[in-house]
Amino acid sequence: MRRITIATMVAASLAIFTAPAQAAWHSYISHSLGFSVEMPGEVKTQTGTYRGAVSGPRETIIFRSVEDNIEYKVTVMSFAQAQAEGASILGEREYMFQDKKKVLMDTFGRVEPGKDAIYGRKITIELPMNAGRTTGAFYFNKGKLISLEATVLPANGDYASPDPGRFIDSVAFVLSRAQEGSTELKLPE
Amino acid sequence: MRTWTLALLAGATLMAMTAPASAAWKGYISHSLGFAFAAPGELKIEKGKYQGAVAGTHDAAIFRSVDDNIEYKVIVVDVTQQANQAATLLGEAEYIFQDGKKVLMDAFGRVDGKYGRKLTIDLPNKAGRTTAAFWFVNGRIVSLQATVLPANGDFDTPEMGRFVDSITFYSVRAADDAIELPLPK
Repeated sequence: MRRITIATMVAASLAIFTAPAQAAWHSYISHSLGFSVEMPGEVKTQTGTYRGAVSGPRETIIFRSVEDNIEYKVTVMSFAQAQAEGASILGEREYMFQDKKKVLMDTFGRVEPGKDAIYGRKITIELPMNAGRTTGAFYFNKGKLISLEATVLPANGDYASPDPGRFIDSVAFVLSRAQEGSTELKLPE
Repeated sequence: MRTWTLALLAGATLMAMTAPASAAWKGYISHSLGFAFAAPGELKIEKGKYQGAVAGTHDAAIFRSVDDNIEYKVIVVDVTQQANQAATLLGEAEYIFQDGKKVLMDAFGRVDGKYGRKLTIDLPNKAGRTTAAFWFVNGRIVSLQATVLPANGDFDTPEMGRFVDSITFYSVRAADDAIELPLPK
């Protein structure tokens, strides 16, 4: 009996040591962009471009990390001069995200309670060619289109992982709700 | 054989005569509000209220007709002062529309370069089925809602789709003889 117990403990310890190392989740905040979010892994700042028929060409700021073969991305675009067109700009972004993809979920997103609420959309799609599954959340707040996308890559394979949900649901627009000690996100130079 | 043909003809004529009379569809346009649509029946203008946690309380202009026990409504809420919150105000209106209802459809809407949302819900207590489309146009929430009432009973009627899909934001796409909508006083 004692041998079995010891063997079980050794096996359990081995399982823990050989499991992929999960980085801790950190809270990040951007006072200038007006949101906070939680992400695991090392967050890098990149720039990119986006183009939509309604929105036109835009430069994007991307905050990205990869952890345990899940890619976490926050993409921010500024539409300060077109805030009254925010509904169409947001709708176009959501539409482009799911266009020609298999949609698994498409539902209301709401961040913050009551009069502070920001309404958006949460969508889960399967990527073509078995390239993974992405859950996205899309919001337009104070002239900025903010997209959160978490992609479970095939190398991870756990497409029902709760981590994409944890990521997209961590966003806050009332910055007093961000965790204390949140790291300020670096903006591109 | 001739007797059968006559009987069939008589039957068909009777069916046509006893079917509910559907009014002709007319085109309507509001240059000041920035949209046009088509609806059957006599269109009346009413005033209403709209309330949302984010939007607050606003007057609503309602263009309404009833034909063949289907209610057609265009609801316009002026939120110009909060137009920089367009995306959230539209999302809130969509959310309120379906909150606590059985949602049968929730899909993208796209007309003339504007993105919106189309939803179909079953009303509580078997009060009917509503198909709606939501848009944000020139600082206003514009919602088209067609409700098939139980007295009609054909909850799959294409008339709801015809109504909500008739909207256009380009005046050149309005019917040539579209009637200018008066604004509520």
